Amino acid sequence: MSTPDQQQQQKFDWPQSVRNYVQRTFQASNEIPGVGREEKESRLKEIIRSEQERGTMFSTNWDEMPLPQQLIQKERQQALMAAVDPTTTQPKPHSSATNSKKRKSSDFSESKQTNGSTVPWRSTKALSLEDRVSKPATDKRSLMDGPLTGKSKLQKYVEKRQRRGDGGYQSSYRSPSPPLSSGPIVGLNTTLEKRYLRLTAAPKPEDVRPEGVLHHTLDLLKKKWRKENNYNYICDQFKSLRQDLTVQHIRNEFTVSVYEIHARIALEKGDLGEYNQCQTQLRALYRAGIKGNPIEFKAYRILYFIHTANRTALNDAIADLTTAEKEEPPVKHALNVRSALALGNYHKFFQLYLDVPNMGAYLMDMFIKRERLAALANMCKAFKPELKLRYVTEELAFESDAEAAQFIIDYDQELLQERGDHIVFLTGKAGQTFENARAQAFRRVDLKGQI
Amino acid sequence: MDGLIRQFRVAYATTNGEQLAETLNPDVHAHSAKFRAIWGRGDHRSMTADLNFLFHQDQARLSIRLSKEETSGWYAIYAVYWKAIGEILAVEGLRNDSKVGRFTDDGISIAEPMIHGVPLPSPLRQITRFRANQTKSSWAKVYDAWKELTLLVVRGYTNHDFENWTIPCLYVTGKHLRLYAMRADAERGLSNDNSAIDDLQDDFDPQAEENKCLEDCARHLNRIFQICASDRAPLEESRKWGVYYAVNLLFKTYFKLNSEPLSKNILRVISAGRSDIPPIDKFPKSQQVTFKYYEGVLAFLEENYVEAEKHLEMAWLMCHKDAQRNLELILTYLIPCRLLTTHTLPSARLLEPFPRLQKLFTPLARAIKKSDLRAFDIALRDGEDEFIKRRVYLTLERGRDIVLRNLLRKVFIAGGFEEAKDGAAPVRRTRIPITEFTAAVQISSGEAIDSDEVECLMANMIYKNLMKGYIAHERGTVVLSKSGAFPGTKV
Repeated sequence: MSTPDQQQQQKFDWPQSVRNYVQRTFQASNEIPGVGREEKESRLKEIIRSEQERGTMFSTNWDEMPLPQQLIQKERQQALMAAVDPTTTQPKPHSSATNSKKRKSSDFSESKQTNGSTVPWRSTKALSLEDRVSKPATDKRSLMDGPLTGKSKLQKYVEKRQRRGDGGYQSSYRSPSPPLSSGPIVGLNTTLEKRYLRLTAAPKPEDVRPEGVLHHTLDLLKKKWRKENNYNYICDQFKSLRQDLTVQHIRNEFTVSVYEIHARIALEKGDLGEYNQCQTQLRALYRAGIKGNPIEFKAYRILYFIHTANRTALNDAIADLTTAEKEEPPVKHALNVRSALALGNYHKFFQLYLDVPNMGAYLMDMFIKRERLAALANMCKAFKPELKLRYVTEELAFESDAEAAQFIIDYDQELLQERGDHIVFLTGKAGQTFENARAQAFRRVDLKGQI
Repeated sequence: MDGLIRQFRVAYATTNGEQLAETLNPDVHAHSAKFRAIWGRGDHRSMTADLNFLFHQDQARLSIRLSKEETSGWYAIYAVYWKAIGEILAVEGLRNDSKVGRFTDDGISIAEPMIHGVPLPSPLRQITRFRANQTKSSWAKVYDAWKELTLLVVRGYTNHDFENWTIPCLYVTGKHLRLYAMRADAERGLSNDNSAIDDLQDDFDPQAEENKCLEDCARHLNRIFQICASDRAPLEESRKWGVYYAVNLLFKTYFKLNSEPLSKNILRVISAGRSDIPPIDKFPKSQQVTFKYYEGVLAFLEENYVEAEKHLEMAWLMCHKDAQRNLELILTYLIPCRLLTTHTLPSARLLEPFPRLQKLFTPLARAIKKSDLRAFDIALRDGEDEFIKRRVYLTLERGRDIVLRNLLRKVFIAGGFEEAKDGAAPVRRTRIPITEFTAAVQISSGEAIDSDEVECLMANMIYKNLMKGYIAHERGTVVLSKSGAFPGTKV
């Protein structure tokens, strides 16, 4: 109607009720002062999109649907109300909302002034006891929040804010620090799939799925991942799943399995940013004593920090291990990888690369190239005048001579030479080639996903 | 309160910063009676009345001149200090004004709540009791109260014209803020209170959870650092003299929070403003030592061992001879540093006063000297937990290179000399079969090892300049340099 082009593009035949709804939104008689046109439009789009995604475009009763501006207004009021303790009839200031630092500081300077200069009728030299004792009470505001002082003023403040809320008080909407909720919310949403959206305000129960629903969601996602292997979709779904767990403060074995599965998928796809987020959570969850697969993930964690060359974190990861854990094969493997690299023992390192437990190979793939460069730099300095290519292939765990040859040729084409039945690698002629490549590879340690 | 303010006046009259700071030192254990007297019955009104009198009416006894600004600043500070004292006494179980905390009845009689000898009217006493009953003591409350105090002290400098001789007060408040923050965090950790999760996060933030107060504390300490470092007053009056107080506190906090990058930021700020921050050797030695120690450890953690050695050595030389613990800390990093930079081992005499270090380093040093790979591996494993905790493990591990170097050197020496030609000086045998080295490594480490791995280890020796020469793989020999095959070892 108002934007026919857009509608055609979407090849979607919109029901008349939706069109009416859009029309009503922009009717002059439905304007609410303080709600801007842009806000209205974006909210309108949001509403229609979500209906479309849910496939309830035709079933929704659009005539009953509140208009976007009404929704916005309602939310603002809720945000304000949340700042006020709802249990008392007399509005009492919520500590975090009204006792912000800013307010305090102004209170203090005020009080100092009153304390610093006494009111004229009190400047008599000899103070009677009564005067002395009652004096603080007559101060406008004592230094500390005394039981009697200050309250009425704060009440006024809150009332003022509420009044302004009716008239569309704008700046309190989406204030930088939304009020803290009193406890975890309990979700009411029962749809299995949900797109991930970064929270900018406290979540609403109707948008959050309770744990029972999330179990089904996880099953569905596992199936879909196996069938469709669409990482963008899966990652998005897992993020909203994690978000729903967090806002409901659910921390149990189910939580662990969600993070473990997401971590494995992210590893497989080389999404280290997402993987690292999961890993951080898992560490905390295991530490809280929740069951899962700590051995597997502690091993990954070590490999991950080898990749990011984060010595401090690596040290901490080792510190997290118990003596028994150090003997578990996956952890032991990761520790051996670490010490082989620390000592420059590339021989051992590449042997470990050929036999990695679980999914650790995905992580080792991340740094295998740079370690090959390091090993080649090493070999070129120590071995003279040449080495058989086959030796390089075996020592550096290339799959074939061809792969090894290609790796070397990518840096310098002059370094290989045919000798009858075999190819030699002219270590003596390599000079600084691999040393430079090594230095560059290590400088470029990919830190994405590091918080 | 009287005594406190008297002390305050004396300090002010003599512009003695340390003494002034002492009035804000909440050492309730050493002087519990004194602090209980200050707290009295926890009556807020009598306290403000006292302060009012002492600061405003008692001018005649004031031997010092305080500007109106300063007066209001200090007034506020002592009022909040009093409140903090109440919280501290409560949590330490030393408060006996009400049902807060544990009762301690050790015979010290606390006077009735009185103002200059006159008891309070009873309704006020009831209010006092009521207030005290409302609360449950905790370190979190101590932290909050002390934070308020810290903010006020900081504001003293920004808004109330406090002079720079008073900066020890900043230090005392900052120092205790940090201590209380750690206690508050530990206390919360025990109670496992997860109520403060930020609902807007997609995930939990375990790190921030654990150290919530300390991270908050770091922000306030940083503020202290800022108001010191950014002061533009001429040097004699400048708060720049407080810079290292603040920096050292910040280092301690950041280390505890495990965030070296933030410490590095501070170092950068300091070196950027070095031209107008007084040179470090003009500061008290204690501050210099602490600063150099942290500067050294930071370089150490970045594997910049040469730089680290420089700073740590300065700290070592300047450190007071009786500060055993500090000396021990410095050595914990200086010894591994030396091992890598100059391959020097600690002497028995050096380690003698430090049994803990002796236990940690002596087995390693002995293994290196005897070029015993097995003993080295065992020593490293035995000390692993402690080494990891001190974050020296990854550094010490590299000492294995030195053991190996010493071992290969032995093989080289055992190889003897080539027959001298034409009466020239005899030359060492420089072509050595790999098998000889392989045998040596196997004996020393007590484990089977194949020649490929030995070649790899030797390639490393050559790569790291611990050994000069090359490996002729096809012929299975190592050809060592005729002059100085093992640099720095006279062979």
